Amino acid sequence: MTAPTDSTATADSTGTGTAPTAEPAERPFGLGSSPLRTDALPKALGIYPYAADLWAEGLLWGAVLRSPHPHARIVSIDTSAALTVPGVHAVLTAADLPAPTVPSDRPVLAAEVVRHQGEPVAAVAADHPDTARLAAAAIVVEYQLLDALTDPEQAFHGPALHPDGNLLRHLPLRTGDPEAVGEVVVEGLYQVGRQDPAPIGAEAGLAVPRPDGGVELHLSSTDPHGDRERTAACLGLETDRVRLVVTGVPGATADREDRSFQATLALLALRTGRPVKMTLTREESFQGHAARHPALLRYRHHADAQGKLVKVEAQILLDGGAYADVSAEVLAAATAFSVGPYVCPNVFVDAWAVRTNNPPAGRMRGEGTLQSCFATESQLDLLAARLGLDPLEIRRRNVLATGDALPTGQAITCPAPVAALLDAVAEVPLPALPLDAPDTEWLLPGGPGGAGDPAAVRRGIGYAVGMAHMLGAEGTDEVSTATVRVSGDHATVICAAVDAGQGFATLARQIVQSVLGVTEVYVAPVDSDQSIAGPSARGRHTWVSGGAVEKAALMVRHQLLAPIAADFGMSVELLSIAEGKITSYDGVLGMPVTEALEGKELWATAQCRPHPTEPLDEAGQGDAFVSIAFCAMRAVVDVDIELGAVRVVDVTVAQDVGRALNPGQIEDRIEAGVAQGVGLALLEDLRSTGGLLANPSFTGYRLPTALDTPEVRIATLLEERDVVATFGAKAVSAAPAVVAPAAVAAAVRAATNLPIGRLPILPEDAVVVLPV
Amino acid sequence: MLPTSLDEAVEALGASPAAVPVAGGTDLMEAVNAGRLRPGALVGLGRITELRGWRYEDGGTAVLGAGLTLARMDRPDFAALIPALADAARTAGPPQTRNVGTLGGNIATAAATGDTLPVLAALEAVATLARAPRAGDSGTREVPVSHLLTGVDPMRPGELLSWVRVPLLHAPQVFLKATGRSGPSRAVASVALVLDPARRAVRCAVGAVAPVPLRPLEAEAWVAGCVDWDARGEEGAQAIDPAAAAAFGEYVAAACVPDAYGADASSALLAEGPTAAAVRLRRTVAVLARRALGRALK
Repeated sequence: MTAPTDSTATADSTGTGTAPTAEPAERPFGLGSSPLRTDALPKALGIYPYAADLWAEGLLWGAVLRSPHPHARIVSIDTSAALTVPGVHAVLTAADLPAPTVPSDRPVLAAEVVRHQGEPVAAVAADHPDTARLAAAAIVVEYQLLDALTDPEQAFHGPALHPDGNLLRHLPLRTGDPEAVGEVVVEGLYQVGRQDPAPIGAEAGLAVPRPDGGVELHLSSTDPHGDRERTAACLGLETDRVRLVVTGVPGATADREDRSFQATLALLALRTGRPVKMTLTREESFQGHAARHPALLRYRHHADAQGKLVKVEAQILLDGGAYADVSAEVLAAATAFSVGPYVCPNVFVDAWAVRTNNPPAGRMRGEGTLQSCFATESQLDLLAARLGLDPLEIRRRNVLATGDALPTGQAITCPAPVAALLDAVAEVPLPALPLDAPDTEWLLPGGPGGAGDPAAVRRGIGYAVGMAHMLGAEGTDEVSTATVRVSGDHATVICAAVDAGQGFATLARQIVQSVLGVTEVYVAPVDSDQSIAGPSARGRHTWVSGGAVEKAALMVRHQLLAPIAADFGMSVELLSIAEGKITSYDGVLGMPVTEALEGKELWATAQCRPHPTEPLDEAGQGDAFVSIAFCAMRAVVDVDIELGAVRVVDVTVAQDVGRALNPGQIEDRIEAGVAQGVGLALLEDLRSTGGLLANPSFTGYRLPTALDTPEVRIATLLEERDVVATFGAKAVSAAPAVVAPAAVAAAVRAATNLPIGRLPILPEDAVVVLPV
Repeated sequence: MLPTSLDEAVEALGASPAAVPVAGGTDLMEAVNAGRLRPGALVGLGRITELRGWRYEDGGTAVLGAGLTLARMDRPDFAALIPALADAARTAGPPQTRNVGTLGGNIATAAATGDTLPVLAALEAVATLARAPRAGDSGTREVPVSHLLTGVDPMRPGELLSWVRVPLLHAPQVFLKATGRSGPSRAVASVALVLDPARRAVRCAVGAVAPVPLRPLEAEAWVAGCVDWDARGEEGAQAIDPAAAAAFGEYVAAACVPDAYGADASSALLAEGPTAAAVRLRRTVAVLARRALGRALK
């Protein structure tokens, strides 16, 4: 949409003069350019087919009966009333499930005990969505209420909520001298609320039974092979009897689907022999899918008189909800990055993820790291205040660099330009105070037409740095496969990496354009018949799937160039492809790629598998992470200190991107991360009282609107290539979301002088009560 | 049913008492879609153009159509007439909501957070309820909006809210709401304050802290005596002592937020003074009331 000249102008006006985007974007395609996503226009115009728009001839509608209680024993389920509703084709309960070979501790449908509000108990298929819902409501379930365990601190001693116990994982981390003592000690208790991924497109899907007894699932999955495998296990089918077609992904910042949704949908289709479609309501969506782990963090930082860290002690408690899911993995990140991007010789951390009767928790941008980033950055500010140091200065004195070790003992081998990032954000001029503008034109906390009063507004500036790891940790087998096929003048990429908004499809196109000089690149839709590419999470696909696409494209390139090189009696290495032309080193050859490809059909498949990692041992030691991306941020806020209303005026970001493969898309991802971070810092909290959700709607769960979102300025996209990563590039989505809440909290702290210890920051936490 | 005139609409409602009138539908249809409400029939009011505007009466009163949209009330011509109502309409929600949401809908829904309601309470607005005429009965009656909201004199079956009469005071009016965010949101607390210089009165209503807007009558009467009515509006003059404005804020807050706010009815803590929630809410209401008075007298 934006012409290159426009984007340059915008970049200048927002002060990103040093960013790579300011270069005249002459290259029409390939790496380093910023082509528009292919689904951007259809999505903006409202013609993109989402999973909720799927249709099949003769389909039935599914509905799920969910537990109204956070913890109860199921005494009996009577489905007879539901079965007599005209139009109902099937009613399923746990008794209808195949043998329990379920691959996790989460049942598809609750059998004996329900462990969180909204846990699926029964499912119905009927010929109309309302019929299905009415029939589900007609199922009579007799519950024997049990005490709900909703305080994670009680989970250790409370009755076991599950045969596997309440402790999902305990991870101790011990390094250095436990007796070390610093001259200055600061302590803090920090709390992070429950942020929901709140996907605008609620869960939806279509299951179609196959004649061979299998089932085909059309879902907006972000992990097609993982979801297929888990669904097949739940159904008691061979994996190849389940086919999963990825369709209409509406953007995801977390796991897209909850497992029981897929399995229930498939089971209804198998049982009725008809296609079954199911769309969750907003309330069901809030109840069913995983949110960010609420956390309680207790920290004690020791430092010497110069502000150098001497020792960090911490206790981290994550509320994992009723089932294990990915809590162990999240806990590893929280623990390993519990000190932040700083060097500290002595670290003693105990971290626990526990089971409660609260809503489920799972993966969400910067999982684990976000929680500890808020705590460590708050602690650094406390230390700075105690020592009379500038918040920037105390960070500069402690930041880690390449070659330093994490508290896990792992040496950081990737670029870690933390100090440079801090300098970059500090150098950008602060946004002006609107002192000269008339009062009516100030956008005050409280918004336009709000109650803001300039006399009560205080401005605060906060800094934060943080990190997010890329790829699966602790020995996860990371692998992706891609096929590149060229026929004539166009190329096709077949790779099961789902573009959940992170821009992989655009990137794959750019890679093939760069390597092969072909302009027309088509990225095939994803289904589970393709080779495994793994989930869209933890910033994986740029690296693993991008790497696979590059390798495959290079193999095709070799096939293309080898005969030409042979004709000219030179080796392939002496030929290059640039600007759509094949040229030789000496300039003798200059052949358009399209001419060389004419009538040819070339293809290759390649795999990318980054170096392996190892699990953390019983002292929290081990090389558990593949690589880390860093980000520094400065937030400027205005606080109405009488009402406690906060407006984030400006967020300036410097990010370690390795190499900017698509600068436009990177900036979009940073803006998205900042918006999500600001949401967590000020607004978003899926509250539950006694295990019952208080605000499962978009009226109650407040997402940031355009007015709540600050101006985001990119100080720099720091390009220091990570030599082992594909193209030297680092994942960009998670780091800004990790750092933004800490930066906003620091700014509110600076404006109010209040100890901001919990997220989101409620108005009551930012009210300065002046002495009477 | 989609009547095109008020007469048709009341007839339709009279004929099928189970029918529910719907204007913008921003609250009603959400409840229908979520399955909380299953009305037997709906009477759509969107085509009744006579209710979408306003007219003047006796020189001192504006008669507002119930179908007046929030977006329309925000336009400058309306804002010049009844500024506080325009302010309330402007902050009532995102444009999508304001374009269809109506004044009548706000009253009929009677949500605690209805933004126009404290303004109507402060203005002592009167609603006209229309009903299909019967023998010896014109069908319409007039009820103060606050009586409708509190249930002193509720709407009866078959009645349709048609007009709202609001006095034109030709004096500053302010509506302020605290939401805790910059984007559109429901009020945590709101204050409407209007000056009535002809009667030398200040009228104030607090919204969102109770199911209906509350009028702190004693505080109003007290503060009216503190205002220097003759200095008001003069360049450089101070119409009220800042300490009196602050005291007014506290007075309003204490009158509208009970000690037990947010506590269980059975809680034994009541003897120990106001709850933490009450203290917080009072602080917010006091700030809003003080600022509203300050703006009105600026």
